[in-house]
Amino acid sequence: MHDGSGLIAVQNLTKQFGPVTAVQNLSFTVSPGSVTGFLGPNGAGKTTTLRMLLGLVKPTSGTATINGRPFHQLGQPGRVVGAVLEAQGFHPARSARDHLRVYAAAIGVPDAQADQVLGLVGLGSAADRKVGGFSLGMKQRLALATALLGDPQVLVLDEPANGLDPEGIAWLRTFLQSYARMGRTVLISSHLLAEVEQTVDQVVIISRGQTMFYGPLEQLRQSQQRRVLVQPSDINALATALRAEGVQAIEQLPDGRLAVSGVDSRQVADSALKAGVSIYGIQEEQVDLERLFFQLTSGQYAGYAPAQTPYKQQGGWA
Amino acid sequence: MGNLVQAELRKTTTTGLWWGLLIPTAVLALGWGLATGLLGQFFVDFASTSDVDEVSDFLGVTPDQWKVSLFGMARAINISTIFPMVFGALAISGEINRRTITTTFLTAPSRMHALLAKMLVYVLWGAIYGLAIMLFLGIGVVITSDSGQLPDAGGWAMLTLACVLSSVLMTMFGVGIGALIPNVAGTVVLLLLYFLVIENVLHLVLAYLEVPSIIGFLPNGSINGLTGSVAVDLFLSTAGVVPPEVEDVLRAIAGAGGALDWWWSGLVFLGWSGIVFAGGWAVTQSKDIT
Ligand SMILES: Nc1ncnc2c1ncn2[C@@H]1O[C@H](COP(=O)(O)OP(=O)(O)OP(=O)(O)O)[C@@H](O)[C@H]1O
Ligand SMILES: [Mg+2]
Repeated sequence: MHDGSGLIAVQNLTKQFGPVTAVQNLSFTVSPGSVTGFLGPNGAGKTTTLRMLLGLVKPTSGTATINGRPFHQLGQPGRVVGAVLEAQGFHPARSARDHLRVYAAAIGVPDAQADQVLGLVGLGSAADRKVGGFSLGMKQRLALATALLGDPQVLVLDEPANGLDPEGIAWLRTFLQSYARMGRTVLISSHLLAEVEQTVDQVVIISRGQTMFYGPLEQLRQSQQRRVLVQPSDINALATALRAEGVQAIEQLPDGRLAVSGVDSRQVADSALKAGVSIYGIQEEQVDLERLFFQLTSGQYAGYAPAQTPYKQQGGWA
Repeated sequence: MGNLVQAELRKTTTTGLWWGLLIPTAVLALGWGLATGLLGQFFVDFASTSDVDEVSDFLGVTPDQWKVSLFGMARAINISTIFPMVFGALAISGEINRRTITTTFLTAPSRMHALLAKMLVYVLWGAIYGLAIMLFLGIGVVITSDSGQLPDAGGWAMLTLACVLSSVLMTMFGVGIGALIPNVAGTVVLLLLYFLVIENVLHLVLAYLEVPSIIGFLPNGSINGLTGSVAVDLFLSTAGVVPPEVEDVLRAIAGAGGALDWWWSGLVFLGWSGIVFAGGWAVTQSKDIT
């Protein structure tokens, strides 16, 4: 039987769909007590990885375990792990309550549990409606309710915020955090860092099936140096003055500003004053996780800008 | 396992498919029953008035005592059980089609458990369909037949057993095919084509090649053999001494040309169901659910 640790361990996981390598030598672990974000752009291999973890897709090589066991050795999997997966099906003619009762029976929990999770996800009043008539967000809530039926120790959610309204997203955020705080394990995928930034403690960032970053979100934040963006009257004079003070990380931006790393805005302003340079604008750059995310993942299926015309834009930067 | 069986049972009762298919099944059985009685009546009238007395002579009974309804009933069962087979075929292919298979596999200890639970529930449904077929068929036949052409109590019991068995086996076969070819339209079209056209053509070819005994080992040949042989046995049990050529003709009429004994036929078809289910299981076991 499984060890009840709540640990998810993915080791050297690889999946090949014919010529397509969906996941390549992926490794990470997820510990209980925290929410872990699983991030990557479209086609990065998130869904494939989660499905391998849940025993739905057979890995080409490597292992994925929950509580120290592969999925099919969990015994009663519905009581150990609950999952929301994209493209998860419902029979359109079945009511939400009937849907939950089917799987409540399979997991072996009392029927009352069906109504309880319906209430939990805010679908209490739609319990007797046929799922075929549900909106995307309602289906997403029902999928979450299904995942919660067995009161599982581990939650695996693939883009659960898809289709949820702002109120639903806010609710999900607090729900997942309190779930993790009860000492349970939550793994949640998204292609938007911003979407989960306020929810997750740990992140696993993948791109093209490979791990790009794995660790606490805080560490990711710190990995990017803060920069001061300054628009001086004389760029060269200010750059020389800063260099004289030992500041080396100076960069000229395309818009004519200087980006200075490793200092705060006060120090830059003081240097400018000493050098007799006026400052027209100064700003401390916020840590932009999204930009960092882009750098890490450099989308494999990046599209082109809509205005790809032969002419250059008037007053452009080029 | 009990939990999974209950879950599978709930799956079938919470949508309308079971009665959506049961209605045409009942209508078909009833219609076939009514027609059986009328045709039998027509045949008996014809036989009694013409000079086919020789036939009645060596059958040892007068035409109005021939249990001709048995043949129509055997045919009716063969045709009607196509519906429970389709019902079974949708069990797994329907879940794959609607992607509910994901949650089914997420809540079962293993795929094998899920498939076995499904099979058990569909065996039950096969029996329910079989009883319904026999009930409506019986009503139809009784309405239009003279009592002389109807089987006795033991005959009814034997026919009911054959009908329920046949329906259960056909449902199991459908479940297996649905797992083997996880595509709703593909599965249903293939089954209908095979059972209504392909194998019948094959039977003609085999008969032409003078190897009709192979028919009894084919899927449709064996399942028809189950009901057909029961019908022929029942007919002969009240008909006295019958020459082998006539028996062959009677078997053909009952849809059991070239077939083995009824229980052998049942075992052969059970074998087919087992093969198909094993294949479907192998496919499902290794399948990536994406
Ligand atoms: N059944 C399949 N057959 C062939 N290729 C597949 C299959 N499933 C996934 N892939 C491929 O594997 C790669 C990873 O897909 P996956 O769905 O895991 O990405 P994802 O990170 O979940 O993307 P998204 O953010 O769009 O959901 C893609 O290139 C995809 O085309
Ligand atoms: Mg995905």
